[in-house]
Amino acid sequence: MGMGLLHRTPPTLQRMGTLVKGIVFVELIRMAETAIGEDAVDQILDQCNLSTDGAYSTVGNYPCSELMQLVEALSNHTGTPQQELQRLFGKWMHEHFVHSYPAFFVDKPDALAMLAAIEDEVHVEVRKLYPDAELPRFETERMGSDALRLTYRSPRPLTDFCQGLVEGCVDHFGQPAEIRRESLPNSEEHACAFTVNLRG
Amino acid sequence: MTERPATPPPANTAPVSRSRYEREKRARYEAEQFLEAKSRELYQANSALRKQAESLEDAIRQRTSDLEAARIEAEAASAAKSIFLATMSHEIRTPLNGVLGMAEALNDTPLTPAQRDMLAVVLQSGRLLQSVLNDILDLSKIEAGKYDIEEIAFDLKEVVQSVEAMFSLKAQEKGLEFKISFGPEAVGWIRGDPNRLRQILGNLISNAIKFTSKGSIHVLVSVNVEGDGHELVLVVKDTGKGISEEEKIRLFKPYVQSNPAISREFGGTGLGLSISRRLCQLMQGELTVTSREGHGATFTARFRVTPINAPQVLRAEDPEEELKRLLRACPRRILAAEDNKTNQLVLKSLLNGLDLTLDIVSDGSAVLSAWNQAPPDLILMDIQMPVMNGLEATAAIRSAETLRNLRRTPIIALSANIMRQHELEYHAIGMDGSVPKPFRKEQLLSAIVHAFKHAPTAPSSQGD
Repeated sequence: MGMGLLHRTPPTLQRMGTLVKGIVFVELIRMAETAIGEDAVDQILDQCNLSTDGAYSTVGNYPCSELMQLVEALSNHTGTPQQELQRLFGKWMHEHFVHSYPAFFVDKPDALAMLAAIEDEVHVEVRKLYPDAELPRFETERMGSDALRLTYRSPRPLTDFCQGLVEGCVDHFGQPAEIRRESLPNSEEHACAFTVNLRG
Repeated sequence: MTERPATPPPANTAPVSRSRYEREKRARYEAEQFLEAKSRELYQANSALRKQAESLEDAIRQRTSDLEAARIEAEAASAAKSIFLATMSHEIRTPLNGVLGMAEALNDTPLTPAQRDMLAVVLQSGRLLQSVLNDILDLSKIEAGKYDIEEIAFDLKEVVQSVEAMFSLKAQEKGLEFKISFGPEAVGWIRGDPNRLRQILGNLISNAIKFTSKGSIHVLVSVNVEGDGHELVLVVKDTGKGISEEEKIRLFKPYVQSNPAISREFGGTGLGLSISRRLCQLMQGELTVTSREGHGATFTARFRVTPINAPQVLRAEDPEEELKRLLRACPRRILAAEDNKTNQLVLKSLLNGLDLTLDIVSDGSAVLSAWNQAPPDLILMDIQMPVMNGLEATAAIRSAETLRNLRRTPIIALSANIMRQHELEYHAIGMDGSVPKPFRKEQLLSAIVHAFKHAPTAPSSQGD
């Protein structure tokens, strides 16, 4: 594969690490605009020297490195630590899912049922629309009637984002829960487990 | 798929209004939603297609296995039919052999003119029955792919003239002009199957005579150079009633005469043209017809032959004369094994008047003991006999000859099984020739002459 081909390859296909669905970028920017305003976001996008110039579409795929670059820049700008920012973004993202894809949520009795359905229900639908999507893996294990252990594995360093999603899910269903996080050291991918215990 | 669209050219650099920006944003959102909906539709269409392809494949698999089962069933039925036909041919040929043989023998006795006329009808009817039987057997052999075309050197003109001789009287009786002409290349010897040539030409001429009430029948025999080979072309042209377009369609179909009324008016099995066409095809040729109703018909048969130089041999003399000459030089003894009383009588009658001794036994083990006492000059061996059949007896004699270093006794098979595979089997077991039943005197005598002429005159010293 020569330089010529590489040159013609659109940035979204260049394997700079792995790819992330465009919806994540679009929603991150929307959250940032809500928090710090459009002008500040524009400024950050200009400074980041992104291969996409900050133009993202929900239906595209973009390098994960750009997402991390944006998270870092937003963290610097707001003074919110990156991990916290990822977690907040996870909760934001969950709200977006509820709004855009309500069908997934209507028949679920509680957060545990929703979390258990990610792999075999949600991701199945995502792959129908985006066969090239690089999705993380969510293994779940029921720990009795009101507890569930969810293991997240991904080549992308988004464990805090995942935690935000889990928290967002629990918030959505309204039943309080205790969420315990445990990191699973792994040289090849980012992995952690969340044990969700429903209360009340 | 995720290729980034080219950035639209900047139309103007003036600031964009808020409402314009929102409108653009909404448009993009709608485009993305639209794309997602279309993706889902595409996915669903793909799934439906895949499902359809799978069910189609299932249907094909099912159909294939149904067809395979049907094929196996059809092949079994066809094999059963072949066996049935072979059996029936044997069952019909044996009594027919008796009828024809005895009728021929009766012909050699003093008869009143009225008796001779009656006998002529018996012989004619018997031979007709024989030819019908042969037609049915031919077609079943062709259909079973077991028909063997021979490659024999023969004199083209002589064979064609022998067919002409068979039909000239009949044509004359109907007052038809009957003429055979030869093209410039149609001379000398060729290599091919003379019997199939007789059969095809005979069938076409016989039909022409049958369906022509006045006028003429002209036959043209020619040889064409066709690519790297030669093609024999037989054109039979009549001035008969002709064939309608509708009849032409059915003309070459077996068991179907072009018009059912024809079988009542003219007789025949309706197999002749179908067999002739198949024979032409087996010899890399074709049989075609051109005709207009009321304007006669022209049948053209063409098939591959190889022209050769005439072999330097003397014309064979009449086998009866030749046999007599051989027997004058040295009287011989023939041992015949035949269990059927009628056939025994036929053999005796056919060989009557010749200077030879004929001993007849009725099973294989009797042949073996008779041979043990004194080997004859020739054995005529029926195949299907009680106690020990002809094949077993032949095998026993051949191995005894080898063991005891004896002269090889010629053995000729007499059999109603005339399929080629049987002939090969007879030869493999050590038989020197075969005569099909019902045998004609000429066939039997020439087989005997052939055996005597080729028999070793002294004991084979090395017992090979």
